Amino acid sequence: MENETPLNRILKKEDGGKAGTKKRVQPKNYFDYTLLFLIVFLIGFGLIMIYSISAYNATKYYSNATLFVKNQAKYAVLGLVLMILISKVDYHIYIARFGIGKFRTNLLIIAFVACLGLQGFVLFKGDGTNGSNRWLSLGKFFKLQPSEISKVLIVLLVAYIVYVSPKRLDRMTGFIRVLVFTGPLIVLVAIENLTTALIMAGIVFIVPFVSSRKTWYYVIAFAIVIVAGIFFIKLEGYRAARVQVWRDIENAPGGYQILQGLYAIASGGWFGKGLGNSIQKLGYIPEVHTDMIFTCIVEELGIVGGLFLIAIYVILLVRIFKISANAPDLFGSLIAVGAFTQIALQAILNIAVVTNMIPSTGIPLPFVSYGGSSLVFLMMEMGLVLNVSGKIDYDAAPNDLLSSVQ
Amino acid sequence: MAGNTETRTASARLNKKKKIFTRKMQARFLLVFCVVFVMFLVLAFRILFLRQRHGVDYTNAVLSHQSYVNTNIPYERGRILDRNGAVLAKNVVTYNVILDPSVVNANNGMYVEPTVEAITKAFNLTAQDIRDILKENPKSAYIILLKDRSYEEVRKFKELQEANHKLVKGVWFETIFTRVYPYGSLASHVVGFVNSDQSTGAGIEFQYNKYLTGKSGRESGYYDEELNLIKKTWPAEDGDTIYSTIDVAVQTAVEKNIRQFNQEMGCKNIGVIVMNPNNGEIYAMASNEGFDLNEPRDLKGFVSEEELATLDENGKVTKLNEMWKNFCISYTFEPGSTFKCITVAAALEEGIATPESKYNCKGVLELDRYKIHCNNRSGHGDLTLEQSLMRSCNMAMIQIANDVGRTTFRTYQDRFGFGFKTGIDLPGEEKGIVVDKANLNEVELATSSFGQGFNVTMIQMAAAYSSIINGGYYYTPHVVKKIVNPYGATVYEANNTISARTVSKSTTEFMRKATYETVVSGTATPAKVKGYLVGGKTGTAQKGARQEEVTDNKYIVSFIGSVPADNPQVVIYVVIDEVNSETLYNSSKPATTLTSSILKEILPHLGLYPSDGEIDYGVDIPAEQAEDDHGAKIEEVKEKE
Repeated sequence: MENETPLNRILKKEDGGKAGTKKRVQPKNYFDYTLLFLIVFLIGFGLIMIYSISAYNATKYYSNATLFVKNQAKYAVLGLVLMILISKVDYHIYIARFGIGKFRTNLLIIAFVACLGLQGFVLFKGDGTNGSNRWLSLGKFFKLQPSEISKVLIVLLVAYIVYVSPKRLDRMTGFIRVLVFTGPLIVLVAIENLTTALIMAGIVFIVPFVSSRKTWYYVIAFAIVIVAGIFFIKLEGYRAARVQVWRDIENAPGGYQILQGLYAIASGGWFGKGLGNSIQKLGYIPEVHTDMIFTCIVEELGIVGGLFLIAIYVILLVRIFKISANAPDLFGSLIAVGAFTQIALQAILNIAVVTNMIPSTGIPLPFVSYGGSSLVFLMMEMGLVLNVSGKIDYDAAPNDLLSSVQ
Repeated sequence: MAGNTETRTASARLNKKKKIFTRKMQARFLLVFCVVFVMFLVLAFRILFLRQRHGVDYTNAVLSHQSYVNTNIPYERGRILDRNGAVLAKNVVTYNVILDPSVVNANNGMYVEPTVEAITKAFNLTAQDIRDILKENPKSAYIILLKDRSYEEVRKFKELQEANHKLVKGVWFETIFTRVYPYGSLASHVVGFVNSDQSTGAGIEFQYNKYLTGKSGRESGYYDEELNLIKKTWPAEDGDTIYSTIDVAVQTAVEKNIRQFNQEMGCKNIGVIVMNPNNGEIYAMASNEGFDLNEPRDLKGFVSEEELATLDENGKVTKLNEMWKNFCISYTFEPGSTFKCITVAAALEEGIATPESKYNCKGVLELDRYKIHCNNRSGHGDLTLEQSLMRSCNMAMIQIANDVGRTTFRTYQDRFGFGFKTGIDLPGEEKGIVVDKANLNEVELATSSFGQGFNVTMIQMAAAYSSIINGGYYYTPHVVKKIVNPYGATVYEANNTISARTVSKSTTEFMRKATYETVVSGTATPAKVKGYLVGGKTGTAQKGARQEEVTDNKYIVSFIGSVPADNPQVVIYVVIDEVNSETLYNSSKPATTLTSSILKEILPHLGLYPSDGEIDYGVDIPAEQAEDDHGAKIEEVKEKE
């Protein structure tokens, strides 16, 4: 199994010919090592960049150049362990029914209810960082952002709801049903962290869209969301102010961080100033190692480096697409679609913010930005996807549209 | 749970037919993928666009960050010294204490307590104040904690910081130069002042700002990859030092005498100029409206407290400008009899009058529709030219001016600089008003001859008079002797060359003698100083004499003189505006007395010592008491209209 690369598998396509065989007994199953490699590569790349970019501030304020990178590395190791563990657990377990008597349920529903409670709890009892009650302290050293759990959970939840009765989505009520189940969690998240809620909403929108055979509900829903969004921005002063900053970044007050980020991007040149040579990281871009990290990556590694990173994301998404297309069942496919949506949205929104294409909002760059909670849960989600990939029949012919393109 | 029934039906179906991701779904997912891919492409183009559009200017913006440790090194403003090196204006170094809360609060606040402790030990601040500041501005990098702290306090803090340098962080100091005037209000109008915003007001500070101002230095640096600070320093260039012609001792004596006079008698204003007639250097220049240069905006002492309370901002500014105005150069007045020296000198120079010329005074003269009285109402009778000066006879002057004629008279006014700025190196000089040649008719010429009907400044009179008694060399009066740069090189030296010739040596000889006689036995006898040969001329001018409305008798009395009379080294000019006395309001006595008192004190400072024992006065001193100079009385004869 270890010798089997996707390339080999594609080469074997001609003589495979046993499509549709789905025996669990002899698991000659596929495992997407390319995806694993890409994830590990991105995290490793992220650690190098975090060290390069945060060392100055870490030395200045904490007299410890490796403070941030060591922190992140700890989370990366934790994430890696959890990812491997989850990738070994059959994803069907989460929706396997159990119960006593008439009351039957599954792990996913229990987790969903627990998450609703946690999300509600954090609103009242959470610790504020930069003015929002997003954090939940667990003991002295461990802090948790429940919205990250919600994000992973929503992927599973939407996939499950659709999986239960995909045909319902051909009617509008089907989509509304999905909204009814996921809505409360999204609203609870939205109160404190609109950006995360937006990504969750994206997942809730894309997964049913992919599964449905109709299009116009989604066009309507999308239009409604856009109109509501505009009203919402007008309603809340500080969001309107952000729009103002976005439109006139060079002059508007409050545009400092983004403008300094643009300075970094535009000053890197084709090949950058070289690893560790960023000037903008020297206190000019606040919190540069978190949401703004892409700007200094471009400054240090140049446009080539930035495009390379984008290319890595595209390849990663291609892998998830292939897993989705070849997954043994709809549930697995839709988990992959959800994960795909999350990574794509986060990467696009993050880069769009730092290049000032959309108004500023705080989204970490997946796998790369500093931030333990975000990284660990993203890796757990990747564990799910890897597990799905592991259920693909190794002998089955690739069944995805991208393969036929190849 | 709502999902419960769903689960059941779903699993039931699951057994029947395995639900898979259909190709149709795949196609829709591919659509999503394509949209995502296009978005990534857009982002890639956005990055290229940013590079293309803003590459150059944003790169420059970043490069300007490279030298990001950029501290300004203040220059030291040049000092102002008197002619002997006494310091009139200097700078004191003080420190602003700057707090950087972003550094102090870093590392979970482990620096807070040690830093707060060090600050409270060294400076007069409570720990709570500092903690509040740290809490209220946690991210700020620049908070001015204290201003104008002494070096001792700063050194104490630095010692504490040295002892605990790992934990005491985020405090640094800005060097501030504060302008200090050690003599306070002394020569305030000449020295001038610097405002807190570095703009200058009045005097040398204003006039020579270009020299006094230096160039700020810069210390710049950047961190290399190993966080080593690579430093580069452009040192500050300090301002030049100015040596004034002012003599602190002379100025002090003059101001002391002015104060005494004001205590004893008082007046509206008073101006005194002491200068060197042989090069135009001003030794002292004072009026009774000095102000403390260290507090140039403090109106106390200039305005009564009750009045100050009623003033609004504009009123205050007006009053301040009034206070800062230099009486000796910015105030114009009718000079009165002191001007007779110029009339006589002009006539001598033109050969129209000779020392042997005789004049007759009947005490009153009717010209046109005016009746002009002499200071001696009954008339001086027959007078020589010298006597006409000694006794300050108006009638003689009218005859002389008449002989000279208006064209020549006007020429001499010009030649002596009346109606023009002298060009003294101080701001705000006025040029006075002289009567045009066209309007210089019989009456105007007559009144002009004894110094009425036109306006002059004190400095004009002093400079003109100096040229008469120094051999006819007109020097531009000035208050700055030389300017020396910080390296000791002289960058400016006052031009002591003659700017005009006014009269010949023989005229000077006559004038020296005549002014001497005036002091010895003329109208200026109170100006005598024991042991010195003093020469000079009094002046008493009725203010606005020819204005019909003027009914109250307001006079400006003055004395201009030189010591020693035979070879003048010092010229003194004293002008008193509206003497506060019922008996002496129209007498030159207050001016001559004040002059004598000042001269007695200042002459030794200027290297002129009184002769011991008998002094050879060189002339016969008449026994009779000389008469006083009460000025002219001009009356309009209304009946004639």
